[in-house]
Amino acid sequence: MAHYDYVEKAVNVSRREFLGMVGVAGAILWTGAYAATDLVQDRNKYIKMRAQGIYKDDVKAKVRQSHHNPGLKDMYQKFAGQPLSPLAEELFHTRYIDRTRLG
Amino acid sequence: MKGFQANEQTNIIEINRKKCKGCDSCKSFCPSAAIQGKYGAIHSINSEQCIFCGQCLINCPFGSIEDTVDAVESVIAKLRNQQLTVVATIAPSVRVAIGEEFGMKPGTLATEQLYGALKQAGFKIFDTNFAADHTIMEEGSELIAKIRHYLLGEPAEHELGALPQFTSCCPGWVRYVELYAPEILPHLSSAKSPMMMAGALAKTYGATDIWHVRPENMVVVGVMPCTSKKFEASRPEFSSAAHYWQQRGGTAHYPDVDVVLTTRDLARLFKKLNIDLNQVEPFTDADNPLAQYSGAGTIFGNTGGVMEAALRTAYFVITGQELPFLEYTPVRGLKGLKEAEVTLKDAKTGKVINLKVAVVHGIKENLKPVIEQVAAGRSPYHFIEVMNCPGGCVNGGGQPINPMGTSWTGNWKALLPWT
Repeated sequence: MAHYDYVEKAVNVSRREFLGMVGVAGAILWTGAYAATDLVQDRNKYIKMRAQGIYKDDVKAKVRQSHHNPGLKDMYQKFAGQPLSPLAEELFHTRYIDRTRLG
Repeated sequence: MKGFQANEQTNIIEINRKKCKGCDSCKSFCPSAAIQGKYGAIHSINSEQCIFCGQCLINCPFGSIEDTVDAVESVIAKLRNQQLTVVATIAPSVRVAIGEEFGMKPGTLATEQLYGALKQAGFKIFDTNFAADHTIMEEGSELIAKIRHYLLGEPAEHELGALPQFTSCCPGWVRYVELYAPEILPHLSSAKSPMMMAGALAKTYGATDIWHVRPENMVVVGVMPCTSKKFEASRPEFSSAAHYWQQRGGTAHYPDVDVVLTTRDLARLFKKLNIDLNQVEPFTDADNPLAQYSGAGTIFGNTGGVMEAALRTAYFVITGQELPFLEYTPVRGLKGLKEAEVTLKDAKTGKVINLKVAVVHGIKENLKPVIEQVAAGRSPYHFIEVMNCPGGCVNGGGQPINPMGTSWTGNWKALLPWT
């Protein structure tokens, strides 16, 4: 009858090798985490880019305040009179509904 | 259906049962808890609770949420009809996003190309930015009337709502208040949104003074970064132009804004007509007074933009001087709740007013404490801007779907340090 000697094969890792392996594992984890946070941050980058586009349009506009819009001043003069005039109330203002009461 | 008026659009955003994976991402974007279905099961949207903002649609990682109102073919048919004058009213945020559908970088300002493409397709132009300026005049005058009445004790000339005043440009926000916080309805500004003002003005002043056509032969197409605008346009009270003409002998009945296309819809329309935004001849429409707009009108698309535009005008009207700093940074940026205080010296009486304002974007995350304060009557603010979508209309539910890619695996370019 064969005799088996169940002795575990000893793993011989020197201190130097152990530090090396920790270093490699750490580098892999670090890169992964860095990539993941980058992805999360970039998910909203397009909102900022579009917002910048709009602010650019503001800066290059010749007129930058609503009360100086020449076409609008013209419209009030020829048509609606002034803000909150009876015609303006009729055409440009509205009312709201309590929808919890609608059947 | 509960909570709808007659003939209103009741269903805009729908989840495609075949594509839904039940991942629950949409629920984390829904401001009104309208999405039903357990994690792992197929989800569905309850339209009675939905405010149609479309945030779930643009953020679904599987592209399984769809906009069910498709008016592209009907608009093309109207463009081909020589009897009709088709007017496009284009929102501020459309011009910085539509380029993405034609391969441009996000945020590319493409106003002139967009005008050119619209002209080539056969549209007349009424820039919503003009109407945004117009909104500032109406809404700002309303705010100033309230300040004069409540803070300076002057007698009121008009019927006034309550302070603080909320903005009313965002249709998702308006529907949210009507459904979930009706007690603060008197605080909403009575001014219409820019799109609805554009519709009413196009079919009255535009018809007689600009294009010289009969208002019943006009089709006003709202081009919006927003799916909720499709609902807003269908509200029955928005037929003031028809009402105006009925008082003057007209008989026809029509809505102020006939149809709404989202930014994505307009890009699809251009592609069907073989118009490429990169090759189109730029057009400025300089002779058209309804295409003139100020910088204040264009920033309406950003969170804080309505507030900034309103401050530029309110400061001038109350103090008689221009705002010394036009770019008002406290209301810019992506912070959830932005607060600011402006000191105004009334030119008439010499009294000093400390105007306190707040800006909220992203109803889901940031709104609750603000409306609780208002409902309890202890809000410190005078004027509050609310936009439903995080970042404002530039990130609206009708905009091109996230150009950085909604898929995590498709986003590898973001990893490269040199891109």
